[in-house]
Formats: sequence, structure tokens, C-alpha cells
Amino acid sequence: MSNGNDGDQAAQERMLAGRLRQAIETTFARDSDLLRRGWMVDTCCLIEIGSERLLLTIRSGRPAIADRIPLLVSWEFAIRAGADAWSALWQPVPKAGWHDLFALTKRGAMHIEGRLQPFMANLQYFKDLVTLPRAGGPR
Amino acid sequence: MSTPAVEPVFEPMVGRYLTVNILGQACRIYTEEAGSGIPLVCLHTAGADARQFRHLLCDEAVTSRYRVIAFDMPWHGKSYPPVGWEQSEYKLTTELYVETIRAFCAAMALERPVVMGCSIGGRIVLQLAHAHGDEFRALIGLESADHQQPWYDTTWLHRGDVHGGEVCAALVSGLVAPQSPQEYRHETLWQYMQGGPGIFKGDLYFYRVDSDLRGKLGGIDTRRCPLYLMTGEYDFSCMPEDTLRTAKTIPGAKVTVMEEVGHFPMSENPAQFRKYLLPVLDEIFKAAA
Repeated sequence: MSNGNDGDQAAQERMLAGRLRQAIETTFARDSDLLRRGWMVDTCCLIEIGSERLLLTIRSGRPAIADRIPLLVSWEFAIRAGADAWSALWQPVPKAGWHDLFALTKRGAMHIEGRLQPFMANLQYFKDLVTLPRAGGPR
Repeated sequence: MSTPAVEPVFEPMVGRYLTVNILGQACRIYTEEAGSGIPLVCLHTAGADARQFRHLLCDEAVTSRYRVIAFDMPWHGKSYPPVGWEQSEYKLTTELYVETIRAFCAAMALERPVVMGCSIGGRIVLQLAHAHGDEFRALIGLESADHQQPWYDTTWLHRGDVHGGEVCAALVSGLVAPQSPQEYRHETLWQYMQGGPGIFKGDLYFYRVDSDLRGKLGGIDTRRCPLYLMTGEYDFSCMPEDTLRTAKTIPGAKVTVMEEVGHFPMSENPAQFRKYLLPVLDEIFKAAA
């Protein structure tokens, strides 16, 4: 059984997941620079926004988010954070300490786990990709 | 030969090389300078080079009173590694870093210079204050602390399946404040893309392994050698609280937390940085008069 606060939290997580999905579907399409830089990226990763889970597949640098996550699906790494961390990261001018993936991991508000070689080999691409929902774009 | 249509506009700094003996090794060092007055020696961050100080070298409010000198550490920028480098792994130690600075200042015949260092340079000025304070007129630590918590595994910086330059730049990109001008953000990152293989990692040996100065900074006399610590609010590597904690252990140390600045104040946002630096340089200049 859930109370109102749980409902609010779930709604916020869904809203943020929708923002990321929309940014990847629309903003990315306009970002030829990100596609140019990511042309070697081929991987599958999991993005978690609280209890919301998004399966992100990237082929030759072109990302797509699955409509639903199949059972027993494989992915190489996961980026996990709560709604507060994603929301702070996507502010037009984020607060100090909430402005970068590693600022968030250092403070324990985000966890990046799994086989990290594809992530680290294309680190700026991934930083910019998951920061697309920020108004004004990644910095 | 045709005449250029527009007269060239030269910047005021000039560069040259000198060979310095550092712990028995001859090191050919590239250095740039501009201005005249009190020597102000600038130390770049790990994995970068002295280009970080190009704005300061062109700032007349500084060079009218200070002889600003910025050199590339051996293995960095235009300073080659010492002969035989190919047979060893680069690792900066506290001893090597201190002796590099002292040998450079001696070779340049600088009399009680001010030394200003950023990041690893900010850490080493604490050691200079502790062990060699009499040799310096004042010390300025940018993004400076006696210790800070590591935030990534440095083995990512030098391995065959990850491009070293790109991962170094991408790692530190978050240390630039969101407000910093895009031009200077990317200029700062470009330096990290250009570092030699394993050099950022080798610098961080000093930072992570060999220079935990917690509890080791006793005896610093800030009346004899004033110590200024300035840290950007967006620096999550050396956080303002790291600097404030450090300053509490050093009587007389003065701390400034710089707004809208990250880990590279002099190169990521020179206009914002000089708002904080000029009053410090004013104070040092007046004390010397």
C-alpha cells in the first residue's frame, strides 16, 4: 500500500524519465556533434531514476530507449540515482556539488556500476548524453 | 613577399628554455614570463601545463607590479622528460616536486618569490610553507588542501583500451564551473587532451599517495610567509570544506571561497578569478613596500 508521498515520488520519477526519453529522442536528433563524437559507441546500459528503469541501447553512437525492458535482458553498465540527483543535475545552472556525474557519485547520490570500459572510453559522450534534459544543454 | 594587411598583435609574455638540475637529473624546462617587480611563480595543475596562466601573464594590473613566471614541469607541456624517461614510469613525489620548484627558483635567481600553485600546486605550497617558508615572500594555494577524498580509480587514466587524453579531459570537465565561458572551458580541457601518456596519473601519485599532509603542517609561520588559500565553490575534488578544514590547522592562513569557479580558476574563468586574486596581490605588494 502506498501513501501520497510515495505517489508524488513515483510521479516525479516518471516525469524525469519522460524528460530523459524525450531529450534522447528529440534533442539528440538535433545534436550532430554528439553523434560525430560517439560514432564508435556500441553498448547497452541501464538508467535508473529512482524506481524508473530505462534501457538505453546505442548503436554507432545513435541512442534509443526501449519502450519496455524485456525479461532477462543484458546490459553492460548502470547509472543509478534518485529523482533528487537527476533533477538537480538537469537544472539550467546546477548547484555546486550536484552539477556533474562524478560530483554526484562522490557525494553518494549516484552509482555507476558494471563493466565500465565502454562508459570510460566514451566518457564525455555519456556525460553529455545523460545531461541532455538540462535546459540549455550540457556544459 | 607581400606586406601583411594587419599589424600583428603580440601578447606580452616571452618564452625560453633553461636546463635545471633536479635531484641529480638535468631537466630542460620551458618557462614563460611577463612583467616586472616581485617574482610570482605559477604552478599548473596535474596533467596540464603553464598555458593555464596565459591570462594572468597578460593582465597589466598584475604584470605592472609582479614578474609573473609560469613554467612547464618536466614531462609536461614543452618541457621534455629527463633523458632515459622511456625506461621508467613517471611518478611525482613530494620530494621531487619540492626540489623541482626550489631548483627552478634558484636557477632563475629569484629572491623570495611568491609562489602560487593550483591543485597539486596548491597542495605543494602547503609543504613549502611548512618546510621552506623562509624562502618565499608569500604563498598562494588555489584549490588547496592537506588531503581530499579520491573520487575515481586512476588506472582509467592510462590503459590501452581507453584514450588517455580524452578520458583525462572528460574526468576533469565536471570540475569546471557551469558558469565558466565555453571558450575557456574547452581550452582548459584541451590541455588535458594533450598530456603525455600516464602523466596525469603520475602527478596524482603525489596527490593521492605521497602527500597526505593531515597533521603534518605544524610550524608554519604566516607572519613570516603569509599563506592565502582560494578555492572555487564548484570544485568537488578539492572542496571548499577541505580548504577550510586545512586552514583551521594553520594559524593566520587566509581563506577565500570563490563563487562561480571550479578547479581551474585561472584558466576556466580568468575574469572571475582576478576579482579574488587582485586583492590578495595588493596585500602582498603593500606588505613588501
